[in-house]
Amino acid sequence: MSATVSLQPGTAERYETAATREPLWIKVVLIGVALAFFAVFLLLPLASVFAEALKKGWGAYLAALTHEDAWAAIKLTLLTAAIAVPLNLVFGVAAAWAIAKFRFPGKQFLITLIDLPFSVSPVISGLIYVLIFGAQGWFGPWLAEHDVKILFAVPGIVLATVFVTFPFVARELIPLMEAQGTEEEEAAVVLGASGWQTFRHTTLPNIKWGLLYGVILCNARAMGEFGAVSVVSGHIRGQTNTMPLHVEILYNEYNYAAAFAVASLLALLALVTLGLKALVERQTRRQHQESISGEHS
Amino acid sequence: MSIAIRNISKQFGAFRALDDVSIDIPSGELVALLGPSGCGKTTLLRIIAGLEYADQGQILLEGDDASAQHVRDRQVGFVFQHYALFRHMTVFENVAFGLRVKPRKERPNEAEIRKRVSRLLELVQLEWLADRYPSQLSGGQRQRIALARALAVEPKVLLLDEPFGALDAKVRKELRRWLRQLHDEIHVTSVFVTHDQDEALEVSDRVVLMNKGKVEQIGSPDEVYDRPATPFVASFLGSVNLFHGRVEDGHLHVGEHALPVGAEHGTLDQAVGFVRPHEFDLRPAGVPGGIPARIVRIAAIGPLAQVELARQDGELIEVSVARDALLGLGLGEGDDVSLHPRAIRVFQKEKQAA
Repeated sequence: MSATVSLQPGTAERYETAATREPLWIKVVLIGVALAFFAVFLLLPLASVFAEALKKGWGAYLAALTHEDAWAAIKLTLLTAAIAVPLNLVFGVAAAWAIAKFRFPGKQFLITLIDLPFSVSPVISGLIYVLIFGAQGWFGPWLAEHDVKILFAVPGIVLATVFVTFPFVARELIPLMEAQGTEEEEAAVVLGASGWQTFRHTTLPNIKWGLLYGVILCNARAMGEFGAVSVVSGHIRGQTNTMPLHVEILYNEYNYAAAFAVASLLALLALVTLGLKALVERQTRRQHQESISGEHS
Repeated sequence: MSIAIRNISKQFGAFRALDDVSIDIPSGELVALLGPSGCGKTTLLRIIAGLEYADQGQILLEGDDASAQHVRDRQVGFVFQHYALFRHMTVFENVAFGLRVKPRKERPNEAEIRKRVSRLLELVQLEWLADRYPSQLSGGQRQRIALARALAVEPKVLLLDEPFGALDAKVRKELRRWLRQLHDEIHVTSVFVTHDQDEALEVSDRVVLMNKGKVEQIGSPDEVYDRPATPFVASFLGSVNLFHGRVEDGHLHVGEHALPVGAEHGTLDQAVGFVRPHEFDLRPAGVPGGIPARIVRIAAIGPLAQVELARQDGELIEVSVARDALLGLGLGEGDDVSLHPRAIRVFQKEKQAA
């Protein structure tokens, strides 16, 4: 089962043996290079975001964040995530459940399909919706007739976000559920549990940390998505601008302090996500070890 | 509750897992489904449980057709080879699960649940483990908890899939004796799957021997061991020595030697005689009516001596005789002897599949 669980980094214990031990100077150089790279390419930009954001003082920082358009962007981003994440939570669990617990023709195809959003450029993802719902698209004329606005409006943004973030939950759960097999579910059903009871009392407790991990990643991407949303949004200030789009607009207007102020929020979100991710990873690993010792001792 | 299996067939792709299988299991019996891996025994068990559906045929529980019944309505208890305990629940909650998921109006109250779970834990002699988690138990303990959990819902039928397959030899032996006692206590109709002939013969009231999706023989452990109906059964239950030859005039002719087999077989051109290692008499070389052979190796440990002999055509024969008898004959490695089977089971040679 170990082959399928390798996606959590650091699960494998590393042992230092004589064969793999390196001289001290090699260690120092390697670690030094890694740290320097890390500092230049990750820490420095992150620090500069906050530095730039606070360049004109806290007053300007807060003013930028509480500006009407910024506030609208924040609200739209939260709304988008609030719709896209629960949807992908449900889709993700359903897809993972189907793939991990059942045999059916076309299973490999479904797995490939789930990965599609990862393999196409986000811009293409956005363009798909323009092709479908745009004025010259398949449903454009019909939608215009019935006065339904999808493109350059909130529904379009939500759709694009859902598409782009689709794989996160499913991808996280499939290997986990496959490793756990179906015996516990079968045991529950034989004991008289209904479908919902089986899911609620056996499946869910076994996947909860993996599920949370997927949701956190999904949420981070939903709030940070730029490419696909940019194509379908139309960039209408105060209406169809999400936070990443708003940052771009401010930046293009040379309003650096405000741009970085909004950007700092996204950076904070990233930091919080990383923190949560580390925490959840630890739990997942613990649960995984328990399940392994539960099978082989 | 009695189980009747009627003409069940099941196909997985091109593989025929079960081919027109019919078995009757009377109420209260403990039946073993025995066969090599891939013979369809687990598939059959899962079909009885409702975890798998047959392509053709019926399962009758207490005379009623259960083929269309959902697994949760069949009132069966199922014990899995790898226990399948709920890993995030304590032992107590595992056993209580079947009671807690009952519809509200059938569900016993908390006090009743506690009482029943404690009684079951007592029955499997593990009441002191109630607050532990499955990962903290040994394999044997887990399997007993799995059994208690299956019994909690008072199933009409208990189905066990290789229940001791994942345990080491010593625990396995203990547990199967214990299962037999438990069955004598609660008398629920039970079917268990195993590929271990000792287990099947020791524990069950009746053995169903399966091979390649078909039933080879059904009978009590004595019957199937002493009177195997097919060559497969004869060779699957314990070790056997094969004698190929021709049956005529009540004798099996092997080369130039003739072994008496009784007249009931008539004349068979292509026959095989099966003789178990303990069904030989060793006599001094030259005694007529036997097969000459040379002793290759003697392993005399314990009361029985295992003797390996080579026939004149080089084929090896395994014989086990009482150690004292061997010593009495004064035989050693390299000596020539005459082998006299006390019992030979003769079958028409199976046509080899092309």
